[in-house]
Amino acid sequence: MKKSVNRIVRIFVAAVLCMVCLILPVGNRVMAGGYKSSSAADVSKKASDETMSSDEEITLRVCNWEEYIDLGDWDEDERIDLEDGTEIIGRNSMVEDFEEWYYDTYGVRVKVEYSCFGTNEDLYNMLTLGDVYDLVCPSEYLIMKLMAEDRLVPYSEKFFDEHNDLNYYIKGVSPFIKERFESNEINGEAWSQYAAGYMWGVTGIVYNPAEITRAEASTWAILNNTKYSRRVTIKDNVRDSYFAALGIQKKDLLTNPDFVNSDDYHERLAEEMNDVSPEMIALVQDVLQDSRDNVYSFETDSGKADMVSGKVLANYQWSGDAVYTMDQAEEDGFMLEFAVPDECTNLYFDGWVMLKAGIGKDKAKQQAAEAFVNFLSRPDNAVRNMYYIGYTSVIAGAADDDTVFEYLDWCYGAEEEEEDVTDYQLGYFFSGEPADEAYMITVPSEQTERQLYAQYPTEDVINRSAIMQYFDDDANKAINQMWINVRCYNLEDVPMSVWIFCMIAGVSVLLILMSCVMEKRAYKKYGKSS
Amino acid sequence: MKGIHFTRKQLCIPYALFLICFVIAPLFVIIYYAFTNGEGRFTVANLTGFFSSPNTIGTLAYSFGIAIVTTGVCLFAAYPIAYILARSNMKKKHAVVMMFVLPMWINFTLRITALKEILTLLEGNLAYHPFLNSVIGMTYDFLPFMILPIYTTLMNLDNSLLEAANDLGAGSIQTFFKVTLPLSVPGIVSGIVMVFLPSMTNYVVLDMLYNSTYIMGSLIGSYFSAYDWHNGSMIALILLLIILVFTLLTNRFEDETSNGRGGALL
Repeated sequence: MKKSVNRIVRIFVAAVLCMVCLILPVGNRVMAGGYKSSSAADVSKKASDETMSSDEEITLRVCNWEEYIDLGDWDEDERIDLEDGTEIIGRNSMVEDFEEWYYDTYGVRVKVEYSCFGTNEDLYNMLTLGDVYDLVCPSEYLIMKLMAEDRLVPYSEKFFDEHNDLNYYIKGVSPFIKERFESNEINGEAWSQYAAGYMWGVTGIVYNPAEITRAEASTWAILNNTKYSRRVTIKDNVRDSYFAALGIQKKDLLTNPDFVNSDDYHERLAEEMNDVSPEMIALVQDVLQDSRDNVYSFETDSGKADMVSGKVLANYQWSGDAVYTMDQAEEDGFMLEFAVPDECTNLYFDGWVMLKAGIGKDKAKQQAAEAFVNFLSRPDNAVRNMYYIGYTSVIAGAADDDTVFEYLDWCYGAEEEEEDVTDYQLGYFFSGEPADEAYMITVPSEQTERQLYAQYPTEDVINRSAIMQYFDDDANKAINQMWINVRCYNLEDVPMSVWIFCMIAGVSVLLILMSCVMEKRAYKKYGKSS
Repeated sequence: MKGIHFTRKQLCIPYALFLICFVIAPLFVIIYYAFTNGEGRFTVANLTGFFSSPNTIGTLAYSFGIAIVTTGVCLFAAYPIAYILARSNMKKKHAVVMMFVLPMWINFTLRITALKEILTLLEGNLAYHPFLNSVIGMTYDFLPFMILPIYTTLMNLDNSLLEAANDLGAGSIQTFFKVTLPLSVPGIVSGIVMVFLPSMTNYVVLDMLYNSTYIMGSLIGSYFSAYDWHNGSMIALILLLIILVFTLLTNRFEDETSNGRGGALL
């Protein structure tokens, strides 16, 4: 009897060990990939089943922001019917569609291993700690950092060939975005050589017009406006907060007509908004300390929900999330508006870059990576992503393809019977000609202060925008230290009463301890003598 | 029939491997980072930096403040409950104890989110009372950890001791302070250890309840996200040492009291 039990135990232990051995490698893979969308995982399973039939298969490791691509599975009634007859609907995820499209177009199977990151800092840490990806989508400042560290593979010449019909990116990218990507350089090399834009936007303030006037919301100073004490949120990251604080600190200069009308306004603006001199960092720290005592919270994600639930009246937001917040509020039956501060706004981009560590010299893989970017840049796919995530694509559409503009008209265009309408100029984005009649839509006037204004800001907003550069190590260190100074508890803030209370508590604890010890000694003495 | 035979030692191997990979090795990595600078050279600058910067000292004080108040509130809330439960003759006592443990079965972020809404209803604007909210959140989160150990020690308390105290003429109040309370010290100590240490670092509660002040956990996080592994590791290491000292102290205290108790009983 005992023997057989022993045997069963042994078999059981052996089985458990075998299972652990089997599970470990699988677990490793899942962990290395971080979050995997279920559809992408299904696809990779399907693809790996088919590996046997095709002799060459490329694995493309893509890492993107969370919730930053169309995952498909739309309801039929979400179908987008454009006026020119185009119908757009996301049935499968974008990643699945790409794999299918690539096989149909090039006859080669690609398996996309899709994973996500939460912040640029997380992505950089992941890359530093040895996670290997082929194609990632960081923001402009991390692109600059990766370029400076020589970790990127430049896009091939083929990618920029406008005569190739499959080069959707170069054919479709907005002239405005293209200009920015070509004029910004790191070590003498333009961004455009290493990065292809994906989404872009500006920063601003989402506010509740029932409680706050537009003029009050149109300045960074609202963060320190004591009238709305504890009713405003600020971003919980040092770069965005630094930018806003610069705006508050330099308000007088930035709104001075002499400064705005000067010939080299843009250069000077960029310089002012990238000021990291020690004196300025010290001033910013004071500003942010005031903000800390005035705002409701430093938030990374909760601001949207708090805005919709009415806990706060205004929140510092990226334009894409602003669109989402306004949409949500509208569903709940009240209206929010978006304002861009008069001083200056931060123009940001997220772009696809190929990593040396992943792509290396593998030409087939590089081609697949470039094709992935092109596929996302196909106007109908750009629309799908925009509809799904609420951010603004860098794609304007090719000469023969106005899908993106038609989509805008479908979203925001005024109905014929509407009376209060405004003509909204978007020529700067779509054709590079600010006054281009072809790219003007007639919209309900309220849209000039709401979603449309956030998703496609007007030209004067772009005019007062600045790109925030990536700072060198010393400046970065100083700014991070400043941020910690702002957030840490200052012992001088402790009220006198607390000090007194602590002293009394400490003394009484000591007294109790001492009396315990004395009592114990007395016991011991008594024990010995008896 | 020989088959595969596992000795006890062999059965320990998986756990030993786990221990080495996920406990011992990371500890050495932390120590390495804590005592090196950006170029990988040995330095104690991180250590001296910690004790000379008003930020870290302020954060340490603030964390201690939150932890002490939370532990105190938990203790004063938990002891009467545990006492009443343990002394009562209720038939369905276990069901009541279960009620206090039940919240632990629900995901803690969910609970804190719910708490956030309740507090907003009560206070109107959470941002005016960050310290109070953090303490409430932590207390809500950690209260069961205080109730359970105290309840268990009180349950195991020998009833004849109380009877003896009564027989010898002690009133109920005197019995409580001279017999029950000293005998439940081990439960109190383990409750304090279970509540005090996590409430020094659990910054998720602070984040979710909109307390924008850093505590030790968030300070480490902010160093790490700024790619500064060295200062972050040093703080983690110092926290580890504080916890170690704390545990050693309470262990000694526990031993002494049990010895003392033994003496008293004899």
